[in-house]
Amino acid sequence: MRIIRSNRHKYCADGSFMKEFVLDSEVTPEFLDFLKRFGTLEMLPGLGEGFYKFEKKDCFSIKGFVNESGFEVRFKKEVMDFTSDFLYSLLYYYQNGKPDFKTLSRREEALIERVKTRLYGSSS
Amino acid sequence: MCNFLGEDSPEHLIFSANATDSLNTLIHGFVASQKEKIHVLSTTLEHNSVLRPLHYLTKQDKISVDYVPFHDSIVNPEKITEAVTSKTQLVVMNHGSNVLGSVQDIRAVCEYLHDKGIFSIVDGSQTAGHILIDLSSINPDAFVFTGHKALFGMPGIGGFYIRDPEQVIPVRMGGTGSDSGNLDQPVDLPERYEIGTHNYPGIASLIAGVNFIRATGMKKMKEKAEQQTRFMIDELSAESAITIYNHKPDLPIIALNISGLDNDDVGFILARKDNILVRTGLHCAPFVHQAIDNGAGCVRISLSWFTTDEECRIATDAIKEIAHHANHTI
Repeated sequence: MRIIRSNRHKYCADGSFMKEFVLDSEVTPEFLDFLKRFGTLEMLPGLGEGFYKFEKKDCFSIKGFVNESGFEVRFKKEVMDFTSDFLYSLLYYYQNGKPDFKTLSRREEALIERVKTRLYGSSS
Repeated sequence: MCNFLGEDSPEHLIFSANATDSLNTLIHGFVASQKEKIHVLSTTLEHNSVLRPLHYLTKQDKISVDYVPFHDSIVNPEKITEAVTSKTQLVVMNHGSNVLGSVQDIRAVCEYLHDKGIFSIVDGSQTAGHILIDLSSINPDAFVFTGHKALFGMPGIGGFYIRDPEQVIPVRMGGTGSDSGNLDQPVDLPERYEIGTHNYPGIASLIAGVNFIRATGMKKMKEKAEQQTRFMIDELSAESAITIYNHKPDLPIIALNISGLDNDDVGFILARKDNILVRTGLHCAPFVHQAIDNGAGCVRISLSWFTTDEECRIATDAIKEIAHHANHTI
């Protein structure tokens, strides 16, 4: 899965930066199962095809509807320079349902360390 | 436009870019005319178009401000009179809340302030066009309106009516097309405040909007808005998961939250699934939200004359459906 383009962006009242992305394929239930390994996922399955909201603490949140090829992402502005890279990695290494968890886990670990250092002054 | 607001001195009606522009002209202009630091009263119902200029002037140590709180969506006029001190020179308050849809008793407030010689600025952004406004009987020192809401004008046009321009120094100067050999800003109205090129299309749209309201009949428009607002509130109130912050708004504005869901998510779902646009978040009125939802924000539904009964039913059903599905987690 990859991002084709960013449609819309704005600064939000809570200080986050919102980007709306168009994807080259639909967000499937399988992709959400994969995604929830990296954060928390809430779903309202009865609304349309299913509303979802994923949150990776201190990094970004994603929301959208299942089976739509697009979603809205809110980046925590202070760390957006490296969390956006991790979002691209998540999509890329999903690899159509055959995720490369090894690479992703390594990148996630490095990301968390950098985010904590930036936000809290220490990675511990 | 002047006649629509119940006045008959059109030169006292000033066109501006919007209500925020008008409020800045009036607030900064009034404070600039004072020789020493003054006390200002406002309310916790205000929009940032009032709060930010007042905050800025407070930081500049030109004013001190107290905000009178509201209760059940209403600012009690007596609370304003109680908060007035010997140093109070200015009161800025809104006529209708942009979050709660409540209309304030500005007649009582303005009468009191007039007797005390305290300058009053009323922000009528939410009321002009929705309810009959007769400035000659309400008697505020200045009344602000915006064109793009219930007056059906284009975005980018607004204005204010000012009774005594001597009390508000012009804070912006420039070309007026009159007395051009004089480098001082003209003292005559409306040139005292109207500078540069006018927004002629905006003014034309505003007048067309006012003529449309007159032709349609404000009473008829108000009755329809009240009936639709009542329908939606009655329907939504029946849902235990929905909190409505003012069950009896005077204006067609409904503020709500759905328990277990972020207001922004509700707006997202309504927009994407149902093509219904609502406004979420703080609505530029942070003090209101501190009082009603701990500053988290809410969903605001605004109805217009052009909103149909069918659209009200569809929106009500869509919100109820979201409420029914809230709190499911995997």
